[in-house]
Amino acid sequence: MMNSHQKRADLLQDRFALKTVAYLSAATVDLPHDISERLRAGRAQAVSSRKIAKMQTASNVVNTGTAAALTWGSEERLGWWGRIGAVLPLIALAVGLLVINSVQDDNRARELAEVDSALLTDVLPPAAFADPGFVQFLKTARQTTTVE
Amino acid sequence: MATEQELSDFLKSVERRAFKRSIYHVRDQEAALDIVQDSMMKLAQHYGDKPPAELPMLFQRILSNTTLDWFRRRKTRNALFSNMSEFASAGEDGDFDLLETLESLTNSEGTESAQEATERAQVLRGIEVEIQALPARQREAFLMRYWEEMDVAETAAAMGCSEGSVKTHCSRAVHALSKALSAKGIKL
Repeated sequence: MMNSHQKRADLLQDRFALKTVAYLSAATVDLPHDISERLRAGRAQAVSSRKIAKMQTASNVVNTGTAAALTWGSEERLGWWGRIGAVLPLIALAVGLLVINSVQDDNRARELAEVDSALLTDVLPPAAFADPGFVQFLKTARQTTTVE
Repeated sequence: MATEQELSDFLKSVERRAFKRSIYHVRDQEAALDIVQDSMMKLAQHYGDKPPAELPMLFQRILSNTTLDWFRRRKTRNALFSNMSEFASAGEDGDFDLLETLESLTNSEGTESAQEATERAQVLRGIEVEIQALPARQREAFLMRYWEEMDVAETAAAMGCSEGSVKTHCSRAVHALSKALSAKGIKL
């Protein structure tokens, strides 16, 4: 019973609301001419702005390739200075990597040389003569010296 | 993705209602035009690549937010220039007059008798006045739900509230309108 009352109330509410908005819709049909024209102009401007945005995005990707990532969303096309500015950091990065590689190689060689010289110039501990391998090495080295 | 023609057709189908809705909210013809134009620009620039089916909801949301922004800006401006605006508003020529809208409706109805046209205009004027008198949320819910023909869930999503709130707003709006129009002797 309660449910049917509620349904009926909802139905009446919807009917009243639809009648009301029917009047409002009728009022929109004949807006003043200047209003209609301004709405039409606004619509045309909105639609054209969509088209421009789409075309600029496509030209950026096609014409500037990887450099497009460095434009930070700018809509202007890159000139020569822009292209040089985009490529320069990449060149600096490559040169930097080569320099770092060279310096690292030098450091590595110097460290190995230091270790070798330290081993060669260091006094032998007595325990080294108990090592059969080392004794054999000394014998071989001595024989080689004698032969020579 | 909506084509240029589909976007244009969609905007054409909603611009007049959007304009009237904005007027009911802001009660200023110039401001309403600005709001509708801004909303159309935002939709085209940010959501022009969306499918046509998504455009109505997006547009309603954008229109609501743009209207809210307008109220915020006006509040700030009024706080800064409250004394000046009091003097300025008295003599402005751009004040919206509902009769201007009704005038064109009356003149265009060639087949309708003058009495019928006048009665219709009076009913419309009464409805518009009472809709403007509704609380903002009730008015928004009522117009979206019945004029924009959105269902309860869509209206709730566009207004950022629950479906229950939409039903309550609509019910209160209908009762308030019904009571006010009856008091004026207007029968629909």
